[in-house]
Amino acid sequence: MTQPAVEFRNVSKTFGPVKALVDFSQRFAAGEVHALMGRNGSGKSTAIKVLGGVLAPSSGEILLNGSPVHFQSPRDAKAAGIATVYQELSLVPSLTIAENLFLGDLAPLRRAGGLIDWKRMNALAAGHLHHVGVDLDPRALVSKLSVGQQQILEIAKAMHSSPSVLIFDEATSALAQREVEQVFALMRDLRGRGVTMLYVTHRMSEIFEIADTCTVLRDGHFVSAAPMKELTPRTIVDEMFGAAEIARRPDRSDLRGARDLLVVRGLSRGSAYRDIDLTVKAGEILGIAGILGSGRSELLRGIFGADPPDAGEVVIDGTAIRPASPQQMKRAGVGFTPENRKEVGLVQAQSIHANLCMASLDLLARRGLVSERRERPAVDRQIRDLAIKVSAPEAAVSTLSGGNQQKIVVGKWLNSAPKILLLDEPTRGIDVQAKRQLFEIIWQEARAGLGIVFVSSELEEILEVSDRIVMLRHGRIVGEAQSADVTLHDLYATCLGE
Amino acid sequence: MTASKTDIPSAAAAGNRHRRFRVESMAMELIFVALVIVLIFAAPGFASINNALNVLRTISMLGIVAFGMTAVVISGEIDLSVGSGAALGGCITAAITAATMATIGAVPAVVVGVCVALAAGMASGYFSGKIKQLLNVPTFITTLALLTALRGVANMITGGYPIIDLPDWFQFFGAGWFLGLPVPVFFFLGVFVILHLVMTSSTFGREIYAVGGNAEAARLSGINVARAKTGALVITGLLAALSGILLSSQIGSGNGTIAIGMELDVIAAVIIGGASLYGGKGTIWGTFVGVLLLGCISNGMTLLNVSEYEQYVAKGVIILGAVMLRQYLDRRGT
Repeated sequence: MTQPAVEFRNVSKTFGPVKALVDFSQRFAAGEVHALMGRNGSGKSTAIKVLGGVLAPSSGEILLNGSPVHFQSPRDAKAAGIATVYQELSLVPSLTIAENLFLGDLAPLRRAGGLIDWKRMNALAAGHLHHVGVDLDPRALVSKLSVGQQQILEIAKAMHSSPSVLIFDEATSALAQREVEQVFALMRDLRGRGVTMLYVTHRMSEIFEIADTCTVLRDGHFVSAAPMKELTPRTIVDEMFGAAEIARRPDRSDLRGARDLLVVRGLSRGSAYRDIDLTVKAGEILGIAGILGSGRSELLRGIFGADPPDAGEVVIDGTAIRPASPQQMKRAGVGFTPENRKEVGLVQAQSIHANLCMASLDLLARRGLVSERRERPAVDRQIRDLAIKVSAPEAAVSTLSGGNQQKIVVGKWLNSAPKILLLDEPTRGIDVQAKRQLFEIIWQEARAGLGIVFVSSELEEILEVSDRIVMLRHGRIVGEAQSADVTLHDLYATCLGE
Repeated sequence: MTASKTDIPSAAAAGNRHRRFRVESMAMELIFVALVIVLIFAAPGFASINNALNVLRTISMLGIVAFGMTAVVISGEIDLSVGSGAALGGCITAAITAATMATIGAVPAVVVGVCVALAAGMASGYFSGKIKQLLNVPTFITTLALLTALRGVANMITGGYPIIDLPDWFQFFGAGWFLGLPVPVFFFLGVFVILHLVMTSSTFGREIYAVGGNAEAARLSGINVARAKTGALVITGLLAALSGILLSSQIGSGNGTIAIGMELDVIAAVIIGGASLYGGKGTIWGTFVGVLLLGCISNGMTLLNVSEYEQYVAKGVIILGAVMLRQYLDRRGT
């Protein structure tokens, strides 16, 4: 083996009594894409955070091109040629694309007198974007970009320092298939130029498309490493979980005769979606399929009244709800888990207890008075039923992993005794096992008679979870099918418009 | 089923944070106790009963408003108009009393005056809340405008001269004694208990914390964000007016120049008490301690013959120091 670009040598990281990463040694060859797999808490995030300078190792060392490096901060790592693309966007929405690209790096653009050479900045930014293969106007405001475009810009930004090692931390989790393809094209190009890439994802299919090797971690320990061509999804899952437990979808229940819980008629909002008609029966799981920008999240927010629609009406269990607002919808028995749960699904600084009671304050109160004691049974029930892993309900919700946070958002609404749950990208950024548990919860609640609307950018999931699927393209319904009667290929084709 | 690793470190960290948080959240209480001990030995006259009651009377006027301000700050807003609101409340009460007591009698006149003053205070809070809701104007701006406007109205009512035609017994509320304590202390403690219960044990209080912690998350949880914020502002407007009535009663006149700069002391007490101007954080108890601390510092410095100007500087240093200490403790907690 030639000298590896990156080598972990006996790297351990402990948080108090907990060993997040134990004696990890592995070499990553230059100019290849290396997948790092493992469920949440396997240590893969810790490993790349150590490499990216975010965490200092408790023991062991990292070698970059054969020489040991000791990073105090991500800045040190960047200076050494290691850049990270995060799942969470680190862009400033109120600045332009060009300004974001040059953020913290304005010195070369300074003219006499300390003024910025805007023309040159925009020209350089345009050149860089072109070089990276991204078709965006450098003068456009980041706030005007879609989440997918922002993620691509994030990668372009990481590439700006011409790193020799690029770390992708769940960087594609917000992207739809087509945008993932764009990212992959970019990655292949970078690989051709000798850039070494470490790639962390929850999407199994992606690594077979892009990675050269796969390293699996479990419970902080190294499990295996092999070239992709020697691996199958099955073997990787086996190694990730030890013994894999795959949930089986329960038989779809017979919905004939069930009453219509949610009826949407002629719902429209600007250019986001138009003339949407939908029905969800009690006990039914309706999937809304569509690529990013199809209007699927906007539609869900419209039904919930988070962004009120311009026209049309929403009827909940026979009653038209006017005006459509989250308060009215909650009163009518509708729950909504937003796509960006970290930012707007939870109050991060508050406790698990407070978050689980947030949508049911009135329900759990007696004459406007609440007490933790009276709320406790509801909190405990969700923690137990949803198998949420918490140290104590008083702990801040920000201490939980993504999967457990998502369960809190779902549990918050289950406490409000809902008739309908609207789930926007509930599986985003959570690991395979948490996803399985979430599916189980969805199926169980549907069996109990809830109507559920499920939105996901991963069409495979929609196909698996839903009873029926509505396909959305450019804000209009372009197809509808029973999940049993449609193939993944058809679904992709309809959503992409091929 | 194997345990997920992420949960374990976070669980441990959370446990630690809670344990530490308890000790560190006592920091201001400990500083207060230390200050009292130092002043007992250093400041002549501090340890007397009379002085203690004097301090209590003074901080009561401030504290009544500070509890309302705590709710406003936790909701993620601010109210800069409380000093002017207090002056307006006092002037309205005095003006109505003076104008009507000859015709309807002294007691009904005071009752009407107090009711109108309290209603005006609530209206001012409601106004800030509605402007925020409808036009999305920050309460910092609206209440800054009210800070000057309400002071102007108060002086327009008095015409620039103190209104002194008030019944003698009216002074009981601000300057009187009951059960050996200054009367305002009962208002102070009453407001403390009520707002403590509101913030800890009512759905309204929970909503204020949620709204201040993350307004959009609260909205998407079906919480009426505007109602929570406006509610906190209305309470504060009411309490500012109440404080102004007590101040007027204490000095025996309606005067448009009372409580100038009160908003700064009130906000200082709230911040020292641990509330975050970013919202979502703070307690009524913390503000209680903040008010006591601020009151003792002022009193102690006066007893030590520190000049008024030097007191201003010292107060500034103390406010900044308290916030820096709080942030240091918070950071150690994570």
